[in-house]
Amino acid sequence: MSVIDIKGLHKSFGDLEVLKGIDLAIETGEVVVIIGPSGSGKSTLLRCLNFLEYPTEGEIRVNGELIDPKKTDLDKVRQHMGMVFQHFQLFPHKNVLHNITIAPMNVKNATRKAANMVARDLLQKVGLPDKEKAWPSQLSGGQKQRVAIARALAMDPDIMLFDEVTSALDPELVNEVLQVMQDLAAGGMTMVVVTHEMGFAREVASRVIMMDDGRIIEEGTPEQLFGDPQEERTRMFLSQVL
Amino acid sequence: MTLLNVVQDYFWGFLIATGMTLRLTAVSLVLAVVIGLLFAFLKISKYRVANIIADAYIGITRGMPLIVQLMFLYFGISSIVTLTAFWAGSFALALHAGGYVAEILRGAIQNVDRGQTEAARSLGMSHGMSMRLIVLPQAVRRAIPPLGNQFIIGLKDSSLVAFLGVPELFSKAMTAAAANYSPFNTYLVAGTYYLVLVIIFTWLVHKLETRLTPYRQEATR
Ligand SMILES: Nc1ncnc2c1ncn2[C@@H]1O[C@H](COP(=O)(O)OP(=O)(O)OP(=O)(O)O)[C@@H](O)[C@H]1O
Ligand SMILES: [Mg+2]
Repeated sequence: MSVIDIKGLHKSFGDLEVLKGIDLAIETGEVVVIIGPSGSGKSTLLRCLNFLEYPTEGEIRVNGELIDPKKTDLDKVRQHMGMVFQHFQLFPHKNVLHNITIAPMNVKNATRKAANMVARDLLQKVGLPDKEKAWPSQLSGGQKQRVAIARALAMDPDIMLFDEVTSALDPELVNEVLQVMQDLAAGGMTMVVVTHEMGFAREVASRVIMMDDGRIIEEGTPEQLFGDPQEERTRMFLSQVL
Repeated sequence: MTLLNVVQDYFWGFLIATGMTLRLTAVSLVLAVVIGLLFAFLKISKYRVANIIADAYIGITRGMPLIVQLMFLYFGISSIVTLTAFWAGSFALALHAGGYVAEILRGAIQNVDRGQTEAARSLGMSHGMSMRLIVLPQAVRRAIPPLGNQFIIGLKDSSLVAFLGVPELFSKAMTAAAANYSPFNTYLVAGTYYLVLVIIFTWLVHKLETRLTPYRQEATR
């Protein structure tokens, strides 16, 4: 069964139609990488997946359940989806450990002890075991983003959404974040990744999706999409970013 | 009377009256924060009616002289329910400051990056939870300097309650000046009491701000 199954998704902001009919199913364990020019609707699509934006039209199923944003308990749905943002969005008034434990303790009523254990384990995984007492303001961009990934993982999600998580980083910090994501993928996590890092897409993606002007214009394995793109617009885009 | 005589004669009397000034200020400011928070939420609510109520309240309390509001509440309300001068004064001060506090808190809440709410919601937090755990703590910390400022204004504004007959510092000073024929020296002493209070208060606000923002060791984004 698909973790997420989208049919005929449209999204408009006022008169501006940003998503113009998206069909997409994401299977368990898949790493789907979304590429495409700026403004093509990649972030909007990702934000529709966890209902930070409500679809204007179309059906979204999560683990088989049809979601109606007006009726379904979206907080429950989001508990099973982690999201990592371009600008980290760590909570500046909480130290690293509390950033990671705040959701499990308050949303899932985990005990402090259990939440701390999970958090320390995750900090180990993202390579920051000695930073639990640090404030977000004391971390580098790459460290912040790794904490943000740990924070999302602490809710034990079924799927992780990444929206250009390395775009705000200095070039020398990009790899430490990509490495964490690659480890996560190797561990079997289902992931949807919007990125301009074509190296990552080539190596880690099980499927690459090319978006343009609110539509998926082409999709396939990395070999297909990078090796033998069918669409003129894909070729143009790739020649610009590669 | 020489300045020294004034100090000798009124030191304790003024100090006791200062206690009343502080009580008025404290009570009215606690109420003002409660009122201000309520109207800040009405103002940012997605319901039109709530916005209109908040705008009307903020507009009225900010658009009339405090002394008029004081008189109105004391003489107007006390014709319906009996209020002591102290409580009428406290309520009037609170309602007046509440309008400013509401605007300060609204600004502070809206200035917290929307991405913070989105991050909180993406972790499964409810709207209320993300407000309480993520947005408000950041907003309140940022609001401390302007709130401190508003509290200092409230402290000074409390002197107007003298006209309702509350025996606070300024009313004691007026009585004294009328009795001893040395208004210059008397008001100089009373003014100094206010000045010292404001200096202490400013220092406390500053201490509170640094205490509450240990994380601001570098600029946070
Ligand atoms: N909340 C919003 N209100 C109005 N317009 C919006 C909103 N969010 C996005 N848009 C518009 O929708 C279009 C698609 O935006 P989106 O952020 O999804 O693109 P993107 O593919 O992620 O681009 P980028 O690579 O620059 O991040 C843009 O034209 C953008 O201006
Ligand atoms: Mg984007």
